[in-house]
Amino acid sequence: MPELKFSEAQEMLRKVVREFVEKEVVPIAHRIDVENECPVDVFKKMGTLGFAGVFVPQEYGGAGMGLTERAIILEEISRHAAGFAMILMTHHLGVEAILSYGTEEQKRKYLPDLASGRKIGGLAVTEPSGGSDVGGQQTSAEFKDGRWVLNGRKCFITNSSNADVTVVTARTGEDAKGRPAFGAFILEAGTPGFAPGREENKFGLRGSGTGDLLLNDCEVGEEALLGAQGNGAKLALATIAKVGRTGMSAISVGILRGCLEEGVKFAKERILYGKPIAKLQAIQLEIAQNRVDYEAARLLTYQAIGLKESGANCDAEIAAAKYFSTEAAVRSAKRTIDLMGGYGVMNDYPVGRYLRDAMATIPSGGTSHVMQLVIAGQTLA
Amino acid sequence: MAEKRLAIWVVVEQNQGKLASVSIEVLGQAARLVETASALSGGVAVVLLGDQVGDLAEELSAYGVDQVYWVDDPRLKHYQNDSYSGVLQRLVEREKPDILLFGATGAGEELAPTLAARLSTGLAAHCTGLDVNADGQLVMKVPAFGGRVLGEIFCPNTRPQMASIKPGTFTVPQRRAGRGEIVREDASSLLLDTDIRLTTVDVLQSEPLGLPLEKADVVIAGGYGMGSKKNWGLLEQLAAELQGAVGCTRPALDEGWTAGEHTMIGTSGKTVRPKVYLGCGISGAAHHAAGIKDSGVIINVNRDALAPAHAYSDYCVTADAKKVVEALLEEIRRTKNEKRGR
Amino acid sequence: MEIAVLLKPVPDPAQYDKIQIDPATGILVREGLKTVINPEDKHALEAALQLKEQYGGRVALIGMAPASAVETFREGLAMGAEEAFLCSDRAFAGADSLATSRVLAAAVKKAGPFDLVLSGSTSADGGTAHVPSQVGELLGFAHLTHVIQFEIGSDGLASVRTKMENGYRESRGRLPLVLGIRRELNTPRYISLMGIMAAQGKPVHVWSLDDLGLDKGKVGLAGSPTQPGKLYQPDMKRKGEVLQGEAWEVAQRLVGIFRSTGILG
Repeated sequence: MPELKFSEAQEMLRKVVREFVEKEVVPIAHRIDVENECPVDVFKKMGTLGFAGVFVPQEYGGAGMGLTERAIILEEISRHAAGFAMILMTHHLGVEAILSYGTEEQKRKYLPDLASGRKIGGLAVTEPSGGSDVGGQQTSAEFKDGRWVLNGRKCFITNSSNADVTVVTARTGEDAKGRPAFGAFILEAGTPGFAPGREENKFGLRGSGTGDLLLNDCEVGEEALLGAQGNGAKLALATIAKVGRTGMSAISVGILRGCLEEGVKFAKERILYGKPIAKLQAIQLEIAQNRVDYEAARLLTYQAIGLKESGANCDAEIAAAKYFSTEAAVRSAKRTIDLMGGYGVMNDYPVGRYLRDAMATIPSGGTSHVMQLVIAGQTLA
Repeated sequence: MAEKRLAIWVVVEQNQGKLASVSIEVLGQAARLVETASALSGGVAVVLLGDQVGDLAEELSAYGVDQVYWVDDPRLKHYQNDSYSGVLQRLVEREKPDILLFGATGAGEELAPTLAARLSTGLAAHCTGLDVNADGQLVMKVPAFGGRVLGEIFCPNTRPQMASIKPGTFTVPQRRAGRGEIVREDASSLLLDTDIRLTTVDVLQSEPLGLPLEKADVVIAGGYGMGSKKNWGLLEQLAAELQGAVGCTRPALDEGWTAGEHTMIGTSGKTVRPKVYLGCGISGAAHHAAGIKDSGVIINVNRDALAPAHAYSDYCVTADAKKVVEALLEEIRRTKNEKRGR
Repeated sequence: MEIAVLLKPVPDPAQYDKIQIDPATGILVREGLKTVINPEDKHALEAALQLKEQYGGRVALIGMAPASAVETFREGLAMGAEEAFLCSDRAFAGADSLATSRVLAAAVKKAGPFDLVLSGSTSADGGTAHVPSQVGELLGFAHLTHVIQFEIGSDGLASVRTKMENGYRESRGRLPLVLGIRRELNTPRYISLMGIMAAQGKPVHVWSLDDLGLDKGKVGLAGSPTQPGKLYQPDMKRKGEVLQGEAWEVAQRLVGIFRSTGILG
């Protein structure tokens, strides 16, 4: 088994992203959380540098890199501002759906704007009936006089109010065996009958606005259908596994690094009994655990992404990475807060935010329970 | 009587009829070297270039100088590397001094290497120490890696041995009773019109407001740990209470909290030697430390107990600098009021 | 406009406090330090890229470093330069500023002709600030350093503002020029992902002593007029008495210290 080693270009990418994050994101990280607002200007700046279209081929205006590079970007942003990374991560869901399932015409129409960050993307699957129960979706798309008419309500949709282009799944009818069939549709903000609804107030990953999307006799042409009719559920699940779960895993790795580094910093600065608490063995044990959680999550995450990029069937590996990394991030944030004593619960320090962010990574892309079922399913098969 | 050999030359800098302080500082070192180094024989000369700067030649002759080479020409009114290095090259090739010293000012940092390249000789930059060893060689101590390391530099095989000295490194010497000889050189033979490729079209220099950092008895220095421009205001208040000046580190400068680059302390900024230095929120990287090491009392307040600044402090406080400065302001004001009350 | 940018890989200035001198050997221990583009050189490169955007032409990176420094040059290519010339030879090791400038000037001549040579005014590691002036002299170009602003007209006439103590000086001169750039000049652009991809295919030419046709006695330690002596770390250690207590207690102690030094009545 070779070591996890990044290429020279990937190392350069990490350096470049880190520099960007330290200059542009760190100063606003706290504000993003407090005000729960997406810093659209910084997103656009990231877009001009290629972050928004990192895995989009250059012919569609992207950087022509892959999912590993995307994970590096998400990790580096999440080291300081996971809520902001969540915006980019969700944008990539919309991008991936169009890139993998779009016609040449759809790709030419949407990808250049999305890849350059001029437009923000999203993917809307979850409904009040549940997120992981894709088959239970109620939103309908009816084909009438050569046009699709959509009705229903999507909920817990990240970027719901910021996205310019959202891929929305809806029930288009039944297949030959009488099971519900779904389609996916590219909807542009401002289309009549399509509008954001109420905005949720999440306690973590704030800044990435999450809320309802309402479809009220929303009428679009045939060209809005993404992928084959009846393929919508598969499209949604594949996109969520490939880009969503790997993305949440990478975000968690970033949070884990934040916990590790903030813990180390605090341990060196905080004086108790006349010396830094870093000299105390009890503290050293916590630091060691933070380190191991971070390293393990990092290995699982990049390994799973590498497998996915090689074309392997690796849903279980991705699920394992997501399950472990998100849970480890919660553990590590709590542990870091413990290490900091009373200071840990003060908002002067970012670790409380890391805990809230880490908690919020768990449901996104499938909860830990669902991840364990995916892992078990494959292991027992 | 044999003419006295002039072993050390100091190229002085004048701007619009005013001598740069560092030039006098360097003169003090040149005088010290010829007086103390037994392996070095000869005296000190200064080289003064300018337009109608005869009074400066007079002034210079009072600093333990044996001779002043004075080159006066309208074309030398403003420093420019091509005209100045042309004159110096011809003069040096004619007289062959052993040692040539410069102040490491903006102009000196350009002129010295230009001349060294023309003379194919060695130049040590930003020296913090100069000595002559038993063989009569100049030992030049230079900082590297932002002052983290000091190294000795020699120039064994070529002459002159050249060095530039960072402003503020040495103190300004007293004037002396004796006077050196002033020799006015013929500018027309030393400066050719063909030398000149660059023309100076404008010079703007203005002294910054307030007490200059390098003249203050108390320096309150702030770093990144001050946290905000608002907190920075506390340092200014404290400096005002103590009649001191506020200095800064590069990170604080980059944050835009400070009065400007002229208040930056360190290898790439000012060197200060106040009676009391108080560092606030400064981790104490070597490049900052190099600029304060000769201060009387060094105090540092920093949140990080392991900050390098604590190692070179007389007193250190592990705390949020903002809180300590606030308490200090309160305490100073309280005691001042008490006094007034009495 | 044909522009050469002199680029020097240096250990990351943020890590200089980790540099030690081995007490046994007296040799500098700088292992584990990251290598970065000398910070001011990035500003020089930014200036070059802006001129290229204004006038067209090409930007070439020229530097002297061990072959392992290719990655650092690749970063400059990712920022937007077209090609890189890396002068790398064991014979170059230990060079002082003049011996370094000889190599760089030879490379500029060989890779040229250039209208303009830009460099950071000073390097973070050695910090001599000699190289722009010395390369200028060796090329026979007029040169200015500590440049904080400049403009080049389409007629090749340059107005250059250089920093002086408490002010500046404005000079005029004709191309070709060598300019040493200070960080005040501009804000270097971020490297884009597209830039990183493009850089993978850009040429990095590695030139040896023979390629440059230089005399071995004029380069490296052997060709350096200055020779290094002892290295040491300045001993700045003081007693480091820790003042403890609440902020007000510390303040009282400090006022006492101020009084004893006579700065406070």
